[in-house]
Amino acid sequence: MAVFLTLVVGGTGILEMFYYIPTPEQAALSVQTITYLVPFGSVVRSLHYWSAQALLFVVGVHLLRVMFTGASSTPRRFNHLLGLALLVGSVLLDFTGYVLRWDQGIQWALVVGANLLKAIPLVGDSLHIMGTGGANLGATTLIRFYSWHTFGLTLPFVVLSVWHIFRVRRDGGIAVPPPALRTDHERISRRELVRRELLAALLCATVLLLLAAACPAPIAAPIVDMRELTLDARAPWFFLWVQELLRWGDPFVFGVLLPLGLLGLLSAIPYVLDGPAPAELGRWFPASGRGAQILTGVVALAVAALTVMALVRAP
Amino acid sequence: MPRHTRRDFMKVITSYLLGLIGGLGIAGVVRFLAYESEPRRQTEFDLGQASDFPKNMPTRRDEIPALLIMNSSGFIALSLICTHLGCTVKDAPEGFVCPCHGTLYDNEGSVLRGPAAEPLRRLRTEVTPEGRLILYTE
Amino acid sequence: MAYSRLTLASAVLLASSVAVVAAELRKPRPVELVPSLSRQPEYCLTCHVGLPEISAAHPEQTFGCVICHGGERLALDEHLAHSSMRGGANPSDFSVVEQSCGGSQCHSGSQADQRDHIQRAMTSVQSTYAGAIASILYTFAAQPDLTARYGIAAISDEVVNTASGVAALEAFDATGFASPSIVKFGRNCTTCHIGATPADGGTYARFTGCAACHSPLGAGAPAEGNRETHVLTTAIPYAQCNTCHNRGNYDLRTMAFVPRSDHPVDRVHDYYQPIAQFVRCEYALDCIDCHTRVEAMGDGDIHSSKKEIQYIQCKTCHGTRTDLPPAMTVTDTNDISLRLAQLNPVVELSTGDRVLVTEQGEPLWNTRLLADGSYELVGKATGERFKFRPVRGSGCTQNPEEQASQYCHECHAVER
Repeated sequence: MAVFLTLVVGGTGILEMFYYIPTPEQAALSVQTITYLVPFGSVVRSLHYWSAQALLFVVGVHLLRVMFTGASSTPRRFNHLLGLALLVGSVLLDFTGYVLRWDQGIQWALVVGANLLKAIPLVGDSLHIMGTGGANLGATTLIRFYSWHTFGLTLPFVVLSVWHIFRVRRDGGIAVPPPALRTDHERISRRELVRRELLAALLCATVLLLLAAACPAPIAAPIVDMRELTLDARAPWFFLWVQELLRWGDPFVFGVLLPLGLLGLLSAIPYVLDGPAPAELGRWFPASGRGAQILTGVVALAVAALTVMALVRAP
Repeated sequence: MPRHTRRDFMKVITSYLLGLIGGLGIAGVVRFLAYESEPRRQTEFDLGQASDFPKNMPTRRDEIPALLIMNSSGFIALSLICTHLGCTVKDAPEGFVCPCHGTLYDNEGSVLRGPAAEPLRRLRTEVTPEGRLILYTE
Repeated sequence: MAYSRLTLASAVLLASSVAVVAAELRKPRPVELVPSLSRQPEYCLTCHVGLPEISAAHPEQTFGCVICHGGERLALDEHLAHSSMRGGANPSDFSVVEQSCGGSQCHSGSQADQRDHIQRAMTSVQSTYAGAIASILYTFAAQPDLTARYGIAAISDEVVNTASGVAALEAFDATGFASPSIVKFGRNCTTCHIGATPADGGTYARFTGCAACHSPLGAGAPAEGNRETHVLTTAIPYAQCNTCHNRGNYDLRTMAFVPRSDHPVDRVHDYYQPIAQFVRCEYALDCIDCHTRVEAMGDGDIHSSKKEIQYIQCKTCHGTRTDLPPAMTVTDTNDISLRLAQLNPVVELSTGDRVLVTEQGEPLWNTRLLADGSYELVGKATGERFKFRPVRGSGCTQNPEEQASQYCHECHAVER
């Protein structure tokens, strides 16, 4: 599913590149051109948007499954790190793509994001320049985000994806108990697997198409003045939990350290805690892997709760 | 003779359906890419008062690009776009020469030598009742 | 897995694709307009089908829509397209008028070429309401004289050309004054100025800003999407002036507005309140047929009372017993009288015509001295022609010292 969504998001993105103009004066106008004037432009753009959000969702669900079935334990621990890197990559790709709209809806997320980078001690200023090209948040920033989004993040993402999938095979396939301890011996043929994947892809495509037609991708008026607040300052949905955290205090601690800490926690779990017993590998909620499950559950619930808190807050 | 099962039928149908979907997709992509997003180039140019143009002397207007000569019978407008592949021709002793592939034109725009096959285009002009000269490139 | 599931899924996907394609093809074709002034394509006309031209002087092929209204020119979604419009439906509202109607190429030129309309309109008494405010404050002992210190909004004037002009006005806030009458005045009586919408709609509905006068609404209340509102004209009928004037009276004791109670059915009864006294030309003509540009729009200075700006009198057109009304021959092809006549749909003027001129040098471009020595006036809003005679050589018994119109009314006033 993630692969299919990646293909869709990549294909629609390439189509959008034929019309998108990455300058501050033209960016929002070119997005409007795609949305309203180009034949099937709104379909392509909405598909790109929804497949991207669906990808984040699927990646998140996949992470939960991997943690709740103990599939991240040895020998799959390195693949787990690859997967987490892909998660970070997906989020960054979603964020850079969001900024490329260059309209009043993204303004504040861009300002906050850029300043969060600067808040990191020692490397903050370098990271800020690498990310945004300087203080102005103008043409340089936009072209840099465009480069990150179309190549700088995409290329590593593709490479890591290939590696991640390769490692699945190298680590012995989908996590299941070894043959001696298996309770069900049903295996499907390769052809059958392809057919099932095709079915999933067809259903996913249908849902995406209908979603794209019914709920168009968000759009707002072009940015007029980078310093003036016009629309309400809301983070994109996948960063709402960070926006909520940032209400508590110091930007570096709550905006960088804490989220990275959670990431570190998730990465460390398979290395620190014991995985499930071989007989229970790949089964849901194996009794022998409780520690990992509880920690993962807590992290997931915390992020979900923070997101809900941010959502119900009046603008 | 091998019997065709229901499964084979389903496979054929599915292939056709997927083919149709693919066809729709490609048609959609082609329509998507074939959209003209920039406004067309200007085809009508207001060149100012007709009386301002010197008689019998050519005036070169590079923004169009065209050459205008006012003579006793009115205006002649010569397009300075080479008929070979579209570069703007430069002045030459014989008339005009194209810097890209060397086509040579005479003062009237006829081809003297060179890869171009057609002479330089004559453009339509019009003088409005207020005396302004309008040039049409289409 | 049964293969038929794949077939079914393919069929469903095909159906969805066809539905999406059909929806896309059914969308209205975008209608492009490339105005010659901006050369940037606009798609407003895709939805706003059949919108009439706003005026002959602002053709849509030249101006388009966005140059005045703002808005997102490429958007075909109502919400986004209108999100950056200036002033909502009225771009001439004074809060945004400089960006919509202003600019050196448009209506905020210099006083020298008589193109400073925005500055004039914003400093005029009809906009600042300074006269009414000064009178009330003086009456209730909040200021020592009738010189204006407050206006509806704070405004300043860098170049003061007249002796009575004021350099700046502060924003009037009635709650800062002790007298309860002044506070009540602030509450009840501050909607008759160009920046405000009239309190009650219906026949008195009008826009704000430049459109307050220049976009006369059709008869009756303006409905949502009423096409008659998209009008810019200099042919302003008296009914437009009556959206503020002649509607009733203020009662100083109760500090309330008392609307007129009559229900007029014809022009002579509709024009003025029952208490007014007027002569025939004062209701047969429209207000703008006599009241000049400077009177209506101001002279660029901030004044403390309408008396400082109103100056037209009967003798301006009719002269006195000894003198004919002053006139001038139109010679310059760029003369203001020719430009104004060209803008007006019913008045025709050419070089060589002789027109009347006011004491301050403003040409009365809808009047003409005919070859046989008689005078003619063309109604700017109606196109009706009126012949009139000078006082000289008639049986008029006016006193040369008493030239205010009230003296002419003594003999010439009409009985209703």
